[in-house]
Amino acid sequence: MKLANVKLIFTREVRDQLRDRRTLFVIAVLPLLLYPLLGMSLFQISQFMHVRPARVLVVGGRDLGISPALIEEERFAASLFSHPKEAERLKPFFQASQHVGQPPPAVAGDPAQPRAAVLQEEWDEARSLVQAGAYEAALYFPSDFSARLEEFREAIILRREAFAAGKAVDGAFSPDVPQPKIFYNSGNEKSLIASVRLTEVLRRWTQRIGDENLKAGGFSVRTARPFTVDTDDVASRKSREGVKWSCILPVLLLLWALTGAFYPAVDLCAGEKERGTLETLLSSPAGRGEIVLGKLLTIMLFSIITAVLNLVSIGATGWIVLSRLPGFGLPPPVALVSLAIALLPMAALFSALCLALAALARSTREGQYYLMPLLLLTMPLVVLPMSPGVELNLGNSLIPVTGVALILRSMLEGEYWRALQFAPVVAAVTLAVCLMSIRWAVDQFNRESVLFRESERFDVGLWLRHLLRDRRPTPTVGAAVCCCVLVLLIYFYLGSFFDVPKSFGGFARTLIITQIAVFIVPTLLLTFLLTTSPRQTLLLKWPSWFAIPAAALLAVALHPAVHLLQLLVQRLYPVSENLRPSLEQIQGLINQSNFWSLVLLIAVVPAVCEELACRGFILSGFRHLGHKWRAIIYSSLLFGLAHGILQQSLLASLIGVVIAYIAVQSGSILPGMVFHAVHNTLAIANTRITPEVFDQWPIAKAFATPGDGGGCTFTWPVVVGGTLVGLLLLSLFARIPCPKSPEESLEEAIERGQHADKPLEAEKAACGLATDR
Amino acid sequence: MIHVHELTKHYPDLRRGQFEALKGISFHARPGQIFGLLGPNGAGKTTALRILSTVLRPSGGSATVNGFDVVTQSTQVRRQIGYMSASTAVYDRMTGWEMVEYFGRLHGIPRKELSERMESLFERLKMNDTRDVLGAKMSTGMKQKVSVARAVVHDPPVLIFDEATSGLDVLVARALLETVAELRDHGKCIVYSTHIMREAEKLCDRIAILHRGTVLTEGTLEEVRERHGQHDLEELFFQLISQHDQQSLEHFLSR
Repeated sequence: MKLANVKLIFTREVRDQLRDRRTLFVIAVLPLLLYPLLGMSLFQISQFMHVRPARVLVVGGRDLGISPALIEEERFAASLFSHPKEAERLKPFFQASQHVGQPPPAVAGDPAQPRAAVLQEEWDEARSLVQAGAYEAALYFPSDFSARLEEFREAIILRREAFAAGKAVDGAFSPDVPQPKIFYNSGNEKSLIASVRLTEVLRRWTQRIGDENLKAGGFSVRTARPFTVDTDDVASRKSREGVKWSCILPVLLLLWALTGAFYPAVDLCAGEKERGTLETLLSSPAGRGEIVLGKLLTIMLFSIITAVLNLVSIGATGWIVLSRLPGFGLPPPVALVSLAIALLPMAALFSALCLALAALARSTREGQYYLMPLLLLTMPLVVLPMSPGVELNLGNSLIPVTGVALILRSMLEGEYWRALQFAPVVAAVTLAVCLMSIRWAVDQFNRESVLFRESERFDVGLWLRHLLRDRRPTPTVGAAVCCCVLVLLIYFYLGSFFDVPKSFGGFARTLIITQIAVFIVPTLLLTFLLTTSPRQTLLLKWPSWFAIPAAALLAVALHPAVHLLQLLVQRLYPVSENLRPSLEQIQGLINQSNFWSLVLLIAVVPAVCEELACRGFILSGFRHLGHKWRAIIYSSLLFGLAHGILQQSLLASLIGVVIAYIAVQSGSILPGMVFHAVHNTLAIANTRITPEVFDQWPIAKAFATPGDGGGCTFTWPVVVGGTLVGLLLLSLFARIPCPKSPEESLEEAIERGQHADKPLEAEKAACGLATDR
Repeated sequence: MIHVHELTKHYPDLRRGQFEALKGISFHARPGQIFGLLGPNGAGKTTALRILSTVLRPSGGSATVNGFDVVTQSTQVRRQIGYMSASTAVYDRMTGWEMVEYFGRLHGIPRKELSERMESLFERLKMNDTRDVLGAKMSTGMKQKVSVARAVVHDPPVLIFDEATSGLDVLVARALLETVAELRDHGKCIVYSTHIMREAEKLCDRIAILHRGTVLTEGTLEEVRERHGQHDLEELFFQLISQHDQQSLEHFLSR
């Protein structure tokens, strides 16, 4: 790659963008004007803003005659609010109950039925008034509420007097005080707020009535509440203000970085296609990688400028407007520095994603349609980390974008050490995703169908006919992706149908149905529908004589290291409390089952089903990408994802790489199946090893020690020795001259040709030509 | 200089399955000659030239430019050619001078040498009036001149012109044809595609008539005329195409 060309392309694109009024408006003018305008508008609007009090219908509660009073001077008593001014937020409207002065209504079925009907009528009326929005809430007091409460208090006094006189006292208070009732409409936000306020007022009132009752009974108020809890906020003022900024700044920064990347990306790719200048650039000596990098750096620059200008504008507006609001100060300077540092990888990531997406678009108009799906995918990753329940830990730091947002939040909250602790992990994940996105963008620039895509009417019938008519011996990359999506969708929907099995029979049934539905059905369906050679697609052929025993030996040799990794993963990512009971129940069923039944069920069945899907159809499809290792990694990621639980997925992805490598090198699915079956069998066998085994054969302690949760843990010499043997076996697989797809042969020939100064026709003719992928 | 052997190209097509744009075409173009690729619209001319300029990859066969393979040595090929496509457009927000300079620098010409070369080129192509004009404000003729300058600024041994005069008025088209002839006189190997027979008669040393992805005839103008017994190139063109379509129809009906 010639950096001089990258620099040239970058300089040209920057100059081009700076001469574009639309780009300049979105990047520079909009952020500098937007926030001050918003701030000014806020000031203006605030003059006209006032809190309208919530209307509360109070039925039968105007003159309760209870001390302390709930209503004073036609309002809720100011002393029942945390701040007296808050009393203005609830405005009572009074209505007399038809029951006032009457005996209490009886329960249904009693001779007193007519009175109950009147009561129901009053409730219905209050309910319908709230439903219709005439009142935000209604507070209903039963007709005999005051009288019963008074009787209750008198009973306390009588008890106190009887107690003082040394007389015997009845065991229970009678009668009970009837409940007041609040009607509200949770579908209406104002009503919901009114009900919360009203509930709090009644809670305080009830508490005060209780205090009065205690006094009437001759007890101190402290009888019920012997102490109060004092709180002391140790956060500095800056830290408190930082918390507020920590919710706003990362979201705004990341969203503007994305928006700032998107518009230049559309103009630089789709716009160039539309204007017809892309073909000229592609026929220049600049390589596709150089073109992509030059454009990527331009998009990154504009993404960073947009985000920074937005931050500056927010900072300036915040300094003038928000800092006057209580609890809002200036964001801490260290946090601003960390925002600037985090901006770089985020801008790179968003720019690469936008570039690859924009390359797909035929025109700038089509490109702009892609913004919304990208925003919908990115928004949860940006916004969710801002909720209090989400913390910066190893699991979350592995999620792209979310990890960066969490680091930013920690920095803004002053948790610098914690942020630094996870910064390397987040940086590694972000870098990996960046590189993958850049690779994707370069791939888009190598695809003729993307670069020279012309508008054609899409017809489902034609497309289906094309799929069946133009089949090839092995699946296309698109077919492999389709299989991956089907596998994951079926896995997801099927999971919701099955409960945790309670017997071994249920467990076996669930597992077999899942394996067939998730892996076998889509694989065989797509193989027979979309390919002409199921044998070639599913790698159904005999490998060289040593591949099968070598694969079995490889599984044995790698088992100690895999087991150690499994323990490490479990320690790093403990299974959640919600999931633990289900897993323990399944583990219990496994422990009680016959070993050979388990081998058949957990080792043999998945080895056949999962291998046919992942190392058969999907790997064969991805081989058309032209890079063996990319095919191996993509198929392994799907293998990992199809294991559902994070702890299993991580390890399955790693093992998937080994199995896929064996399948590619041997050109057969059988060694992979054998490896898979042996690996799973050893995992089952390990759980069956009990401490008694070590007592029976003390020599076993030289190789392994009893594990904490059952099974055994291998000693370091065994782990290292096994790994070395494994590497040796893998090197033997590496020596097999593996069959290559036409695309892989072509890519290798191109790789050699780019470094040669003389013609390489012979080599190219030998590898055959691959067309657009 | 350019060797094309049994070159094929097919595109996936929903309606027709694999659409064969080129069905194994072969031809040779030599230095100091203009090789005309003649054919009606949809004949496969642009596809063939895009393959030669490494923008597209062939599905089969081979093509070399100055000894370098268009698939495995695409970077080297791009250094040998100047390509002006049918849909050649100029950057809206760059001036004529900036555009030519940009492509000259992509070809690795030192800044000082490039500047001298551009002064002479702008003088020779009479395009000093486009020097400071932005692409968006250029006339079609101006744009075409800038495209020619961009294609030749690095003095490549091979030049590929795809329907270079389409959309130009007579005056500008004539000036462009004169420039192409001049470049041939400087020893360049030129592949020139057109569907205008008079242009081909006037300009080309050798021609190939391409129709539905097949070369119907190839050779010098005299050879072709003699081979098919028809002096008028336009008549010859009609005759060959009609014969080919007739044969295709008979072949289709006999299946």
